[in-house]
Formats: sequence, C-alpha cells, structure tokens
Amino acid sequence: MLEPVNISLESLNLSTLTPMLIPIIGALVILCIDLIKGGLNKSLYVMLSLLFLLMDFGSLVDFAQLFSENGTMMGFFDVMLIDGLAIIGQLIIVVSSMLFIPLSLTSKRFHEYSYPEFYALFLFMIAGFQFMVATDNLILIFVGLELASLALYTLIALHNRNKSFEAAIKYFTMGALAAGFFSFGAMILYALTGSIEINQISAVLAADEYSNIGFVLVAVTFLLASFGFKLSLIPFHAWTPDVYEGSSAALAGYMSVVPKIAAFVVAMRLFEFLVHSNVVWLETILYVLVVLTMTLANIWALVQSDVKRMLAYSSISHAGFVMAAILIGTTQANSALFLYWVLFAFSNLGAFAMLWVNRQKVLVAGQDSDHPFEKFAGLVRTMPTAAAIMGLFMLSLAGLPPFGVFWGKMYMIASAVSGGYTVLALIMALNSAIAAYYYLKLIVFMFMKEPVYDTDKAIHMVNASMPLKSIIGFATVFTIFSVLFVSPLMEFITALVYNSGY
Amino acid sequence: MMEIGLNHYLVLSTILFAIGLLGIMRRRNLLMLFFATEILLNSVNIAFAAISHFYGDLSGQMFAFFVIAIAASEVAVGLGLLVVWFKRSGSIDLETLKSMRG
Repeated sequence: MLEPVNISLESLNLSTLTPMLIPIIGALVILCIDLIKGGLNKSLYVMLSLLFLLMDFGSLVDFAQLFSENGTMMGFFDVMLIDGLAIIGQLIIVVSSMLFIPLSLTSKRFHEYSYPEFYALFLFMIAGFQFMVATDNLILIFVGLELASLALYTLIALHNRNKSFEAAIKYFTMGALAAGFFSFGAMILYALTGSIEINQISAVLAADEYSNIGFVLVAVTFLLASFGFKLSLIPFHAWTPDVYEGSSAALAGYMSVVPKIAAFVVAMRLFEFLVHSNVVWLETILYVLVVLTMTLANIWALVQSDVKRMLAYSSISHAGFVMAAILIGTTQANSALFLYWVLFAFSNLGAFAMLWVNRQKVLVAGQDSDHPFEKFAGLVRTMPTAAAIMGLFMLSLAGLPPFGVFWGKMYMIASAVSGGYTVLALIMALNSAIAAYYYLKLIVFMFMKEPVYDTDKAIHMVNASMPLKSIIGFATVFTIFSVLFVSPLMEFITALVYNSGY
Repeated sequence: MMEIGLNHYLVLSTILFAIGLLGIMRRRNLLMLFFATEILLNSVNIAFAAISHFYGDLSGQMFAFFVIAIAASEVAVGLGLLVVWFKRSGSIDLETLKSMRG
C-alpha cells in the first residue's frame, strides 16, 4: 500500500509558472476562437498575440521587482528557477517576439499568416523558450528546447515554398541530432553525479574534485555540440544560411535572435561552472570555437551574393562574438552578453524587417534569389529613406559609433581585456573591422551604383504596410538613440546578473 | 553465467548511439535518416533507465519518459514534413535537398 503523498500548495510556488502559462493560454484561446468561428481576419490574431505577450511582459516586470526584493525564487520541487538570468532572458525573448509578430501584417498576402495555427504555434514556441531559460533542470531544458524547436520547424515550413520545406527538413534533421547529443550528454552527467539539476551536478563534481574528468569531458563535448547546433557555432553552422534563406525574412530575423538568447542562457548555466573549475581543456575548446566562429563566418559572409545569406553569416559571427562572454565568465562579460544581444536584436530585426518589406512575390528577370545585392543597387534614387534606414542598420551591425551594436561590442571587448583575455580582445576588434567590409558593400550598392534590374514594376517596398513601417521606425529610433539608455540598461542588467551569482 | 550490471547497459547504449550516429551520417534516404535519429534518442533511454535503477533514483526514468514523448512528437513533425516533401518533389532522397548552396 503506497502512502498518500501530501504536498502543500504553497510549497509548489505556482506563481513561478505565470510567465510561461500566459503565452500557452493565449495559444489555446486563439485555437478555440478558430474552432468557434473560422476565417477571421489575421489582424485579430496578431492583436491577441500582442496582448498576451504584453501581459507576459507585465508579469516579467513584476518578477524583476520581486527578484530585486527577495532574490532567487524556486517552484515546483525546485524545477522552476526564476533568477536574474531567467528574467532578463525572458524579457529579451518576449520583447523580440512583440517586435516580430506585427511583421505578419504585410500588404501582400502570404500563405502562413492566414492560419490561426501560425499564431498558436508562435506562442507555444515562446513558452518553450521561456521554460528553457527559467530552469536548472536538464529535463525541463530539454522539453523547452524541443517544444520551441518543433514549433519553429513548422513555422518555417508554413511559408509554403519549396525552399522553405527544404529549410525545415534541414533544420529538423540538425535539431534531431542536437536533441540526441543533448540527451546523451545529460545521461553521462546523470551517470556521474546521480542528479539532473545543474547546481547539484556542479556540487557533486566539485566534491569529488573532478576525479572522472575524462567522462566529464565527453559529456561536455556532447552538450557543447548540441548547443553549437542551436547557436550555429562553427563547425555546427552548416544549416544556418540555408534555413535563413528558405524561411521568410521576418522569421529568419527572429531565428537569429530569440532561439540564440535562450541557448546562451542555458550555455551560461551549464558551462560557466566548468570553465571556472579549471577544466583547462574546455577553456581551450571554447576559445577555438569562439575565434573560428567569428573569423570564418566573416570570411564566408564576404563572398555571398544574397543579402539574406550575408546576414545569416553575419549573425553566426555575432553569435561567436557573444559566445566569448561564456569563455570569459566574469559578471561584466555576462552582463555585456545580454546588453549586446538587446542592441543586436533591434538592429538585426530591423535589417531583416527591411528585407521583408522589400520582398516581392514574383522575381524579375535575372534575379535568382529573393534579395540579391543587385536588387538594392541604386536604391537611394528611388527610395532615399529606405536606403538611409537600411544603411543605418548596416552601420549599426558593423559596430560604428554611436549606433546600437557598437556599445555592445565596446562592453564586450572591455570585459575581455579586464578578464585577462587580451589576445581575444584583439581578435574581436579585428573581426569587427573585417565585418565592416561586407556591411559597407551593401551600402555601396545602395548609394553608389546604378540600378541593375531594368523593370517598370516596383520591386522595393512592395510589402510595406503601416505596422511594418512602425516596427522599422521603432527599431531605427532605438538604434540611433541607443547611446542615451545604454548605461541605465547596463545597470539594470548587471544588477540582475550579479544578484543571481553569475 | 556472468551477471549483467550497469556497465553492460551503458555499453549497449553507447553502441546503439554509435549506430544511430553512423546512420545519420551515412543514410541517403530521409526516412532512414529519421529512423537513425530515433535509435539515437532511444539508446539514451536504455542508459537512463539502467542508471536510474542503479542509483535508486527516479529522475532518470522520468527523463526517459520525456525523451520517449519528445521522440514521438519529433516523428510526428518529421513525417509531416516528409509527406509534404514527397508530394512536392516525388522523392525522399537526401540528394533532392540541394536547391540552396553557398
């Protein structure tokens, strides 16, 4: 006869689930509305998604307040973990999602946005990413990762072109492999320590002074490979340009920001205790990964003929740049990671949104992809504002002062120097210089070349509508005036990161 | 008669994992490739169940259950994609997935 289990409801601390439950409820509401009355206008679903994301944002602000008063909160048998990293990670995820979802209100009609399932899957995906960052438990990280990834594969495929199905299948295969690697790495850590919670794993490993270092390294290799796929670190990056090219520009921009910040938070929880505990081998491997990712991606970006693929390689390079924070591992570096990613999110989403408004449904003669460089040639003649805004995002991504990403780069390189990684700081600075070349290439095309395509039909800004323009305007303002709020933002982030012990 | 211990299960799991990995790298048929990822995930389940029994701790078995559930949902999404791809290209060969290069 089993004893009945008595658990008081207070000990579960149900409120820690609120930020994830809000998007899940939102998704279910959207599905129910579709069941009751189908064929409603997409703007209703967009507004509903925005509303639930706004509520989610509100609850997170509430948690940030609670965290500054009470410190880290645990819930559900210590499975949920709401600390500073979880809060800042979720804030970035939710804000980027709020910027992304209005991009579906295009003036041209696209297949995927007419389905309410698109918005439901989108909200489920956000819940998955939120679970991923707000836990210490390898099971929940795995479940969150897969919930988000499976929804994302479907979102890519919903774009309904041959290339998007190809992209979805490629991403799916890589994702399944990464899932296998993750579970195998987690299994080895469980075999070594008898626990699946990261803080207990690190405690047990430290207590027996890493006597099984060989097995620890095997486990870390598998976990690193798994997150290498998600963060598109070289040599696990091969899917990235193809998947970005195949999915719609808006979704590609989203993919270069949100899944990566979720993976960065988990990587921070997983790898930093190992870097700090004098596992020299891991430090070397991370060093090599970071340098290779930054440099090779930049070199490949130089030779791309399509702007979207160029931006894909550039986002790989940015991810490598930010991965350096996990190698350095100081509070300053970890805060710089989040600051960089906030600024990068705005500039990158802006750049991809600019591609999205320029997406025409029928390619003109001589055009073999959606956004070749030639398409933007002489843009300043026809659309001076659009050219200027696109140029601004490029300058920001290149890291030119005083625009957004420059401040991220500055804090990141400063943290590398003060962390004792002078050579790494030098490589990072050099890479920013290389990267400037391909961003400037687009600017040269827009401002100094004659239009290439001889066409009487409009090929620019065909997809523009008021919501899209507002999002781009918002990103522009944020990028230009980032200088005004970089230091308060940095203070806010540092307080959250420092108080959660990273 | 040798007693079967934890190590045997771990070795079995590692061998299956290697088979799955080899399958992912070598298979040219997408359906076979998906089977290989299933082997990959299920090999881990064996190890989790064995380690969980060894420690007398249930969290490993919980992990195994979640892996089973995730593997199932992954198959659902993967097969959906595969069916659409077959309808569009008439083939589930890996060679057909090469319209994007560079």
